[in-house]
Amino acid sequence: MKRPFHSIRWRLLLWHSLVSLGLVVAVWLLANRLSTRDRMERIDRDLHDHEKSFYRGVFAPKNSSNDKDGPPSLDDIRDRLRSLGNPAIDPPEFRDLFKSDPAGTYIVVWDSDGSSLFTSPNAPAGLTRPTKVRPERSERSVCDRGTLHELHSAHPSGIITVIGRDISTELGALYRFRILLAVGGASILLAAIAGGWWLAGRALKPIHTISQTASRIAAGKLEERIAIPDRDNELDQLAHVLNDTFDRLASGIERQKRFTADASHELRTPLTIILTETQRALRSERDPAQYRQFLENCQTAAQRMRGIVDSLLVLDRHDVGAESRAHRPCDLAEIARGVTDRLAPLAQERGSNLHRQLSPALVGGDPEWLETAVQNLLSNALSHPPAGTSVSVRCGHRGGESYVEVHDEGPGIPQEHLPRLFDRFYRVDRARTQTQGHTGLGLAIVQTIATAHHGRLEVTSNAGQGTTFCLTFPHLPS
Amino acid sequence: MRLLIIEDDPLLLHSLREGLQEERYATDTAMDGVDGLAMAREIDFDAIVLDGMLPGIDGWELLRQLRETKTTPVLMLTARDAVPDRIRGLDAGADDYLTKPFDFDELLARLRALIRRNHGQAKNYLELGDVTLDLATRTLSQTGSPVALTPREYALVEYLGLHRGVVISRTELYEHLFDENDDSLSNLLDVHVSNVRKKLGASFITTRRGHGYSIE
Repeated sequence: MKRPFHSIRWRLLLWHSLVSLGLVVAVWLLANRLSTRDRMERIDRDLHDHEKSFYRGVFAPKNSSNDKDGPPSLDDIRDRLRSLGNPAIDPPEFRDLFKSDPAGTYIVVWDSDGSSLFTSPNAPAGLTRPTKVRPERSERSVCDRGTLHELHSAHPSGIITVIGRDISTELGALYRFRILLAVGGASILLAAIAGGWWLAGRALKPIHTISQTASRIAAGKLEERIAIPDRDNELDQLAHVLNDTFDRLASGIERQKRFTADASHELRTPLTIILTETQRALRSERDPAQYRQFLENCQTAAQRMRGIVDSLLVLDRHDVGAESRAHRPCDLAEIARGVTDRLAPLAQERGSNLHRQLSPALVGGDPEWLETAVQNLLSNALSHPPAGTSVSVRCGHRGGESYVEVHDEGPGIPQEHLPRLFDRFYRVDRARTQTQGHTGLGLAIVQTIATAHHGRLEVTSNAGQGTTFCLTFPHLPS
Repeated sequence: MRLLIIEDDPLLLHSLREGLQEERYATDTAMDGVDGLAMAREIDFDAIVLDGMLPGIDGWELLRQLRETKTTPVLMLTARDAVPDRIRGLDAGADDYLTKPFDFDELLARLRALIRRNHGQAKNYLELGDVTLDLATRTLSQTGSPVALTPREYALVEYLGLHRGVVISRTELYEHLFDENDDSLSNLLDVHVSNVRKKLGASFITTRRGHGYSIE
């Protein structure tokens, strides 16, 4: 991890942390707001209840003594309020309303002219008649002064009641609650970040394994594969795809390696011959006939090398350009006729009877390549079996396929050679064929051409009944 | 000295045989593993040149089977220079190896060294009294002045010289100086011995009647 903030793990963590932080802050704000409002509403309700019980206390004795129905008049209220504070008249429970407890609830009542009607003993000093409360609107307003929380209410008559109390205990509790909430939120956030880091690491671990395996493979350990646990998640599927790719690459490289080794092996022997022959020739004076022999041997070796190099180039072109060549309709019969005509002299020289039985067989392909394929098959049939063997070439179509087959009546190819017959540089009879300029690549070329044309090459051979090579391609309807 | 070449490429086989025969080796050839193994088991060659890739049994397998009975020095020719191939060859019992394409001179030098070492001879020349044999140039000199010998005569002296003090039977001498193509039924050997005696002195080669020849 050279650049931490570019790694997926870090970025996942960053986003995860931001979202978690946002959530925690939002929850904190909401909880704070709700609890503050709830607390304040409760205080307000307390104060309101207190005010109600105060007025009930103020007027209850009077009502009972006068036995008079209906609401008391304004003057009654003023008189009653003014006369409060007299322990002789006040009911005992009323006195308890205003203990001189600084945290307790206090009530101050002013008349419309600004004179004080009632002041509870525990009221804080310096309270003045609030001017904000407009008598005509008869509303209750909340006012906070320091740690004092007050309700101001105005009667239409102009009497103003201020009821309040010190709420520092509640504020303290609220403050503690906020701190607690913040600490809890922070812990949850930290836990979420740690969990996110762990989860991201766990989720990305397979990727780490994959990249490590891939770099080991890139370093040359081609047989390594990604270990896939038995789960079928997305990364395992990716690993399967990668393993398949590695398999194909490794077998391709292996094939290439073997081919290069085979090719260099094939080139080394003629090269050795040239070296040995020239060095022998130069060791001592010889007569012209001997020099001639040396040169002929060198020439044979060099021609063999040329054959190998040519065939390798043909194979390489076919390997690389298989898909890019333009395919066009061509008749296998025409191609086979051309090839048999060209090789007729060779058949004559070997004393072989060359039969042909050609009916039209249309295929889509490259005529030049198809010709090479047929020619390789025919020249094999004319040169591998003993001289004088009958060879026949047939073509036509059957079951939606066009075919061309070359049959010789020779002794047949031993069964053990058949599976490897199309391998590059594989020879049934190395000693004899090498001197005749066969490179061991002819059938490999034929097979490559067949594959490039979506066709196939098959061989059947039985001891004493000869050998048949059959090239089959998809039939092209005319 | 008699060599066996096992090589499946006819042209290379021909070239090696000609070249080695010109270097005064009696040379037998085999073109596949089965023939080669049979010949190597039957005849005591002084050295075997063995190609790795052979039809029938390959060179490594041939070596493994040969080593069950014979200790003939083997020089392997490999067309692959991959290290595992060389290690495989040496481990199977090869004494030396050469990678194709090789220089013919190097092949000769390695064969000489192989044969020399096989006879416990670390030096490149043999001193037999006043006669000195140079194994590298295959020349012979007596008291400092060169003596011209025919290839067969030289081979005879070299073989007896490498087995100095040992009586070598006529059969063994025939086996090591002549290959399958030579006519070994004649009294060619006696002719060579008497020619060497004429050139180097009658007492150079001792005859043990009924046993063979030796150089004391």
